[in-house]
Amino acid sequence: MHRFVRPQLMLRDSKQPLLPRAGHLCTNHKSVVSSVRGYVVLPPTSDEEEKAMLHRMMRVDHAGEYGANRIYAGQMAVLGRTQISPLIQEMWDQEKQHLRKFNEILAENRVRPTLLLPLWNIAGFALGAGSALLGKEGAMACTVAVEESISEHYNSQIRTLMEKDPEKYTELLQLIKEFRDDEMEHHDTGLEHDAESVPGYQLMKAIIQVGCKAAIYISERL
Amino acid sequence: SFALLHVAVQGTVSLQCSNVRRGFHRAALLRLASDSKSDTSVPPPSYHEVHTAGESSSSSAQGESSEDAQPNTSFQDQSGEHGEDYETEEQLQARILTAALEFVPQHGWTVEAIAAAAETLGLSSASTGMFNNGAGDLVLHFVAQCNAQLAETLAEQNNQVQLGQAEAKKTAEFLKDAVETRLRMLIPYIDTWPQAMSILLLPHNIPDSLKHLSTMVDDIWYYAGDRSTDVNWYTRRAALTGIYNTTELVMVQDSSPDFEETWAFLDNRIKDVVNMANTAKQVQATGEAVVQGLMGAAITLKNLTGMNQRR
Repeated sequence: MHRFVRPQLMLRDSKQPLLPRAGHLCTNHKSVVSSVRGYVVLPPTSDEEEKAMLHRMMRVDHAGEYGANRIYAGQMAVLGRTQISPLIQEMWDQEKQHLRKFNEILAENRVRPTLLLPLWNIAGFALGAGSALLGKEGAMACTVAVEESISEHYNSQIRTLMEKDPEKYTELLQLIKEFRDDEMEHHDTGLEHDAESVPGYQLMKAIIQVGCKAAIYISERL
Repeated sequence: SFALLHVAVQGTVSLQCSNVRRGFHRAALLRLASDSKSDTSVPPPSYHEVHTAGESSSSSAQGESSEDAQPNTSFQDQSGEHGEDYETEEQLQARILTAALEFVPQHGWTVEAIAAAAETLGLSSASTGMFNNGAGDLVLHFVAQCNAQLAETLAEQNNQVQLGQAEAKKTAEFLKDAVETRLRMLIPYIDTWPQAMSILLLPHNIPDSLKHLSTMVDDIWYYAGDRSTDVNWYTRRAALTGIYNTTELVMVQDSSPDFEETWAFLDNRIKDVVNMANTAKQVQATGEAVVQGLMGAAITLKNLTGMNQRR
């Protein structure tokens, strides 16, 4: 059974719910927008560079989850009536949760979404549908490749934040770690379901991963 | 010691600060300070002009209690900024530019306006040398000031709504009011505004003016309640930028009383955008319905030909 985690219930290490506080989510304005949940994921900062870095990270993560969503949608469009469909649906639902979380963060912190979202919309769907046309093994191989790329990306973000200031970014680190764990689970699930048995697995995996790296690179900048 | 105090005060009142008098009353204050530390009738050191921090700070350090010595600036602060701490160059520049706005109707958006303002603040007109961008600095400062004012107003309105003291406006009305509020800030300078607009369009000013414009549009949409994280983020801001710019252009050549024609134009543009958004929604809904119809037809066909088996 796959672990069903609700990202909203993130608690600190002490497992005590944080006291609700109205955080200064946007440092440009004097009005205080009170958070619906009890905590703030992005620490408020007045340092422009740090803010730009955090915004860039959230932007690319949002684009990544959006793309992953579209990939699973493409896979479901082709394989929706087969035996593998409940599994893909479950993984898709988890990605939807991730996307919802990032939508919240972007909205609260007034982060600009990447301009290339329509492109990821089409490209993601095409990749999902295309790989699914190779059968369930193809879909699983695509999942393995994409989830591996995303996990690597989250890991490098975790490393960056840990290098800077683990204390300050506690909530953010917790969030990214949790999402990375989910993606690793998807990766392992794909392997369990005969991803490697698709013909041309290594080639397909390499191409998809290069594509993911390029997508991450562009989304960080645009 | 009262006599000394009297002389010290007289020394303070006189505007010409000669070294002797300064030294004299500073020494007097030192004595007063050491005589009666808790004597509240001693005037605080800020009530006299201490100009050169360098020579006096060490000797008058005790007499100046908690007050920081004024920075070694080249101007004489004759307006008596009581209790003013160290002022950064940026704050000084901001003060000069704000004062320069008064002279814009007379001199236009030029360095002359800045020079005139510098003189009213007691500075030499050569302090315009601080502003590398000349008139550009003045216009950008004004734009930033207006935007900050707008953001404050919108934040205040937002607070009112959140506290339940005011009704939330519909999006179209909110946008109209926000743009009108912002454009009304141009009214005192409307005669010279075309000059300011052309300054903002100079190549070296474009990055800054674009940044101000995009921040303003983002602020307006944020307070209008936009929390979109998809391509709508871009289309909405682009639309509002277009509305704002065209309305601004209409305003500078509008001669109707209280710019009625401008607000009517603004109203029409916003209605257009809302219409377009509604039409887009309708097209999308129709498109989705059509796709569903086609899918239904395809599934029926597959059923008829027996292709729809579970694998």
